[in-house]
Amino acid sequence: MDIVLQQLVNGLTLGSVYGLIAIGYTMVYGIIGMINFAHGDVYMVSAYITAIAIAILTFFGIESFPIIIVGTLFLTVAVTGAYGWVIERIAYRPLRSSSRLAVLISAIGMSLILQNYVQLSQGANQQGVPTLLTGAIRFSVGDGFVQITYMKLFILFVSLLGMGILTYVIQKTKLGRMCRATQQDRKMASILGIDTDKVISTVFVIGAVMAALAGVLVTLDYGAFDFYVGFIIGIKAFTAAVLGGIGSLPGAMLGGLILGLSEALFAGLISSDYKDVFSFSLLVLILIIRPSGLLGKPEVEKV
Amino acid sequence: MSQAVGINFKKSSIDAFIAGLMALVLFGPIVGVVLDGYGFNAEFGRVAWIVAIVAVGRFVMSSFMQTEKGIALAFRYANNDDGVTVLPPGHKSKMVWIIPLVVVIGLVLPFVASKYVLTVIILGLIYVLLGLGLNIVVGLAGLLDLGFVGFYAIGAYGLALGYENLGLGFWSMLPIAAIMAAVAGAILGFPVLRMHGDYLAIVTLGFGEIIRLILTNWASFTHGPNGVSAPLPTFFGLEFKRRSSEGTFHEFFNLPYDSAYKYMFIYLVLFAVVWAVLFIKHRLVKMPIGRAWEALREDEIACRSLGLNHVLVKLSAFMIGASTGGLAGVFFATYQGFVNPSSFTFFESALILAIVVLGGMGSTLGVVIAAFCLTVLPEMLREFAEYRVLMFGILMVVMMIWKPRGIVRVTRTGFSPKKGVAK
Amino acid sequence: MSNAVIRKTLISLAVAGAATLAQADVVIGVAGPHTGAYAAFGEQLWKGAEKAAMDINAAGGINGEMIKLVKADDACEPKQAVSIANRLVDSDDALAVVGHFCSSSSIPASKIYEEAGVIMVTPASTNPTLTDQGLPNVFRVCGRDDQQGDVAASYIVDKLNAKRVAVIHDKDTYGKGLADAMKATLNSYGVKEVMYEGLTRGEKDFNALITKIRSVDADVVYFGGLHSEAGPLVRQLREQGSKAIFISGDGIVSDEFVSVAGSPEYVDGVLMTFGAPPTSYPSGKKVIQEFRDSGYEPEGYTLYSYTAMQVAVAALANNNLDPIKGAEWLKSHSIDTVMGKKDFDDKGDLTVSDYVMYEWDGQGKYNVVE
Repeated sequence: MDIVLQQLVNGLTLGSVYGLIAIGYTMVYGIIGMINFAHGDVYMVSAYITAIAIAILTFFGIESFPIIIVGTLFLTVAVTGAYGWVIERIAYRPLRSSSRLAVLISAIGMSLILQNYVQLSQGANQQGVPTLLTGAIRFSVGDGFVQITYMKLFILFVSLLGMGILTYVIQKTKLGRMCRATQQDRKMASILGIDTDKVISTVFVIGAVMAALAGVLVTLDYGAFDFYVGFIIGIKAFTAAVLGGIGSLPGAMLGGLILGLSEALFAGLISSDYKDVFSFSLLVLILIIRPSGLLGKPEVEKV
Repeated sequence: MSQAVGINFKKSSIDAFIAGLMALVLFGPIVGVVLDGYGFNAEFGRVAWIVAIVAVGRFVMSSFMQTEKGIALAFRYANNDDGVTVLPPGHKSKMVWIIPLVVVIGLVLPFVASKYVLTVIILGLIYVLLGLGLNIVVGLAGLLDLGFVGFYAIGAYGLALGYENLGLGFWSMLPIAAIMAAVAGAILGFPVLRMHGDYLAIVTLGFGEIIRLILTNWASFTHGPNGVSAPLPTFFGLEFKRRSSEGTFHEFFNLPYDSAYKYMFIYLVLFAVVWAVLFIKHRLVKMPIGRAWEALREDEIACRSLGLNHVLVKLSAFMIGASTGGLAGVFFATYQGFVNPSSFTFFESALILAIVVLGGMGSTLGVVIAAFCLTVLPEMLREFAEYRVLMFGILMVVMMIWKPRGIVRVTRTGFSPKKGVAK
Repeated sequence: MSNAVIRKTLISLAVAGAATLAQADVVIGVAGPHTGAYAAFGEQLWKGAEKAAMDINAAGGINGEMIKLVKADDACEPKQAVSIANRLVDSDDALAVVGHFCSSSSIPASKIYEEAGVIMVTPASTNPTLTDQGLPNVFRVCGRDDQQGDVAASYIVDKLNAKRVAVIHDKDTYGKGLADAMKATLNSYGVKEVMYEGLTRGEKDFNALITKIRSVDADVVYFGGLHSEAGPLVRQLREQGSKAIFISGDGIVSDEFVSVAGSPEYVDGVLMTFGAPPTSYPSGKKVIQEFRDSGYEPEGYTLYSYTAMQVAVAALANNNLDPIKGAEWLKSHSIDTVMGKKDFDDKGDLTVSDYVMYEWDGQGKYNVVE
């Protein structure tokens, strides 16, 4: 019993990480209908910046966890946001009027560039960050126990907070209205005076910021990363976004949670060898039953 | 009209300053602070260089864009024209001599090229096959397939495992692998083909990954990550090994042993198969089925309302594409003599897709050129050693920005109704 | 007789005839992952080989001819390994190759070297299949996974008296091979593993797997894989409160293992099998010192690569630069290297396996377990 509960906890925390990264995919897709393959690598860049920020802060003798985490978050979000903006400006904006596939290839190229640029400047070795926050809450269940580390609680809290703020921004603010207008009809939106280029840039920055948030939290939690770390987690997050219905914010989070849970439960109760096979099969199955994902709006076929 | 276009250096300077600042933010941490354990080494010199280069580059570019030439360039850039070039009916290409020329060069090549060059060209031809296969699915039928590598893996493992378990050689596996891949395409295609664009993309991606994961995990059958060795093709039963009980090629023809013979033979067979596939594809495009693919790509609803069975049409594209991928897999396995799951990652699918898109969607010639570019280029870039993949990525982005429709534009010969048939 | 050799001989004749001072170089390839996810190991290979070549050249080269190294990058992809192997034997006329790193690259490449009659000495590919193929030209200066697995399994049974062993691997040629070898020996001692599972390389969250380890109540966790996964694995194991002893192989021999695990306290007590410490060979002291003086710590496979170069050079030097004869010669002669005397058996494996058990301490250093 304790084991099953523990696996649920494992799945939820893993899922919230997927969800956080999936938001970046889903927002970009929602607004301009492109799969941003470089998103996983933006996450990877943010992991490096996290470690660099921590290294610099500790170099100046700062030891307290709150200051380090706030400083790191600030620095990482700022720099990663800049990456998001520049990537959009260089690799995607010139292709605004081209076919979606051209943008996709450009994104794959961008992903290669980011990976190798980081590898060349930082070296190919495995990197790590020191453990800053240890300890866990434990509940005894039967003769075993279920635990959730403080770091995991922190991740859950921040991702829910991030989701909440983002939902508020998209639903209630002027910026959000402009985003939604651009999503529905880019041409019409620009006729109505919305600077769609700017909106799209903003969306990319928001996507990168969410990736940065995930980058800081996950790097602090797992401690290990290298220049290749964005690939697997990127694919998983993308799967989560599609599972939940790409383009839908709550869908991304839901998809992430489902994916995380299914992985943890399958790995924990059946076999960790085939957990990815199971996840992808689940995805195929869900898409066969609901062709636009769990919370996605069915595409209206226009003649 | 000849109003002098003055260059506003103040604007250029501001642009350069902003670009430099941006470069500082971007490159500062990653390039300037190199992690070392939990500490770091400062490398600010490198950052200074990069920032200076970016700022100067931006200044020059900004100034250039204010000149007449620059404005003209930007204008041309902003007006990317559209789509397919339609040639007048009855158009005869003036390039008829090029096909025989290529065939002759291709046939002479293995006897003059060094072994290394030959292997690179074989790899190039394998990617031509893959590109042609995916081109049918993505370029012609408009179905975004990110898991094409799955069919490639089926072909490659088909040869290796077929040889190991059933004793089937290269020649028997060549058609069987194509059929196997086509069947796999049908099994995958049937349930998923009613999905739209990007959902289809992720499902196919999932399919490719599932195939790779099964190959990795089902160790008792596939030998997992250790891989399986694959047989060489035989020349009417003669083997290309140094010694063999079945009789060897070099002994039969009284030649000294040279491992280049096997590559020559693989090359020649592959060359023939590529031409066959090219020919088949060329005919298919002109047949009703090919027309149906392209029509479906352009407007699915219109096609369905005209009574076209969209599932069947899509499925046929999927199966023909998959079988070509299977063929390529067989050649890959025999060329490498060994297959393991690490050759069939998602990156490979992305590379094949890049070939199709770079070549110009739907264009056969473009696919051939792009396949060679993408396989030969990394080999040529070997001189750059560790900068190789970075350069490759940059080229991919630059190529897309420069020619978003691919290297070769699609041309189709127009039709005119024959006189007297329709009025 | 390979073309390369004929060409080489012709060139050296021509050079000698012209009586110029220019020397024909002996080309030796250093093949490994110089880019990609394993580039850190590729660097170790290159540093070791480069130093060896410099030292040999400084001492007069091979029979007076200078060694010229060619860096060949396979990124640990079999496809690229085949391509560069062909390039090395064909365009570069290499007579010997030090490499490759990954077993999955070494196996397909070895066939090409065999056909071309080129000596291949791998410093790091430990998969048994490589030498079990029966190719005459393939050698390795590291152990085999089955030898390594033996050492680990007998340690687990004899020293730790463990009954509940969980075996984890990373589903890769090296990791799974090692885990399988360990498991086989373990079973032959009558101990059945309580769990045998793979994790996915590149992932960092192994909590589900660890909860499962907890649920089977393992007292030893054996991991076949590299430090990139071992670090998070051991950390998450400790975070979930498991006290199981963590044992792995030579894939975690790197200081990065500590930084990846998050803190030296997590690696405290981790055991691993690795070749006897290079410092234990008196012959290696000078080289190690020179490496350290130049600011490079000869970690992991650096000295293996140095040794591989020495073996390849010895074979060529004693057989008039004929690699085919050299390969035969190696099987009946012992070679003095920085890592002691090396003898090869008929397959090309070392006759003596020198695996010993190491333990990591709370300071993030490892020492031999007495």
